[in-house]
Amino acid sequence: MASSDKTPTSALPMGGDPRPPGQPMTVEQHMIDKGAQILQSLKPVKQMSQHACTFALYSHDMTRQIETHHYITRLNEDFLQCAVYDTDHAHGRLIGIEYMISERIFEALPPDEQKLWHSHAYEIKSGLWVNPRVPGILEKPELEKLVKTYGKFWCTWQVDRGDRLPLGAPALMMSPQPVNLGQVSPDLVRMRDNKYNISTEALRESRVELLEPEPINSQADYWKHHGKGFAIGIKVTDIKLRAPFP
Amino acid sequence: MSSTHPEVPGEPTKTGTAFLETATATIQSFAPINQIHQHLCAFHFYSYDMTRQVEAHHYCAHQNEEMRQCLIYDSPDADARLIGLEYVISEPLFLTLPDDEKRLWHSHEYEVKSGLLFMPGVPGPIERQDMEKLAKTYGKVFHFWQVDRKDNLPLGIPQVMMAFTRDGQIYEDLVKDVEDRYGISVAKERENRAYISGSTHGIHPLANGGGKGLKTELREVDCKAPDSVPRVFV
Repeated sequence: MASSDKTPTSALPMGGDPRPPGQPMTVEQHMIDKGAQILQSLKPVKQMSQHACTFALYSHDMTRQIETHHYITRLNEDFLQCAVYDTDHAHGRLIGIEYMISERIFEALPPDEQKLWHSHAYEIKSGLWVNPRVPGILEKPELEKLVKTYGKFWCTWQVDRGDRLPLGAPALMMSPQPVNLGQVSPDLVRMRDNKYNISTEALRESRVELLEPEPINSQADYWKHHGKGFAIGIKVTDIKLRAPFP
Repeated sequence: MSSTHPEVPGEPTKTGTAFLETATATIQSFAPINQIHQHLCAFHFYSYDMTRQVEAHHYCAHQNEEMRQCLIYDSPDADARLIGLEYVISEPLFLTLPDDEKRLWHSHEYEVKSGLLFMPGVPGPIERQDMEKLAKTYGKVFHFWQVDRKDNLPLGIPQVMMAFTRDGQIYEDLVKDVEDRYGISVAKERENRAYISGSTHGIHPLANGGGKGLKTELREVDCKAPDSVPRVFV
């Protein structure tokens, strides 16, 4: 049936417009939203404390690379959860979720689980991962922790192939790495840098002393040592029921 | 903001970390997050196993009148775990989807009319204005963290989730638990929502998995070994 590495046929026109199809919000809907906003606490969402801009690659096709915007909540010293968007503008599309765990927690995972995760050391040390508008000095202590983490990132909306709605199965993403397949297109980086008036090069120099995991676990970044990516397929099956459905 | 989550493994957040995060939160732009205006409490089950049911707290933002994107947490608390996401689309948008895609989406009509889906803290009349719209929509949910099997980390692969479609499917005590916590009555709200109509064209036969389960599976696929790729980037 659906598979994250297959392009779905779609009745909707592809490409171009970054906004999903649909009528603009009505005044009535704005008022419902406003009412809800005043009355509800939205506590879990208020825990997001960092915005990071970085790049990710599709594990089943590493020539497809995207700029991502992570909105990050730290649950404890070893665990972070991120809502991932395609831009930091108000109309940003929710394209997936990434989890980040410390080296300690990662090493305790079974190898079959580890292969779904990627390392962050290169991504951070190379300057690809940035916290827009945060001065280097504030960023440093956090990066010292994050550089040693591993991430697991499911992308549910493949906007780079022109999907105007989220189609298909989630795709597993990988992180930039210093070998050929893992390198991010300089054009993509340049566009990002221009947007924020920063220099990834300069950041790389300032991050040279960050300590990476020694060694980086070889189950992570699975493609590097095994030459394999991953795809998620969805197949039709029987349901274990407790009442008639649907 | 330092916290120990009772179930996620790891040390409590140290003071230094928490301080930094407060600082970044005030300097940076959180525009997509600031669009999240609504909290909805609902229930999902694993698309291949109706006996596994989960309470799901949705935090939703509109892309436009016909499309919403929601973050799903396992509770409404500060230490809630981000377990999945849902996209919600109008009936017209749903009808444009390819048939294979339609199966991955579920109808909301029963959830709304039964009173199971609700907006905590919002008075009935306002809530019902939104319910009138939601009753006609379809949703697509993936969960990445199987908290119902007591996983303390998001292990494994994404799960397609479904919503309830008729009486008798949901566990009574799951409902009672929510009713007690929020001081609400699902049965009472069902009466209040009797006037609400579902989708114009009726629930599409391919939605809700077409009545079948959907199981995700992981496949390894070839990718070119790094050495075989000519150096493209300097």
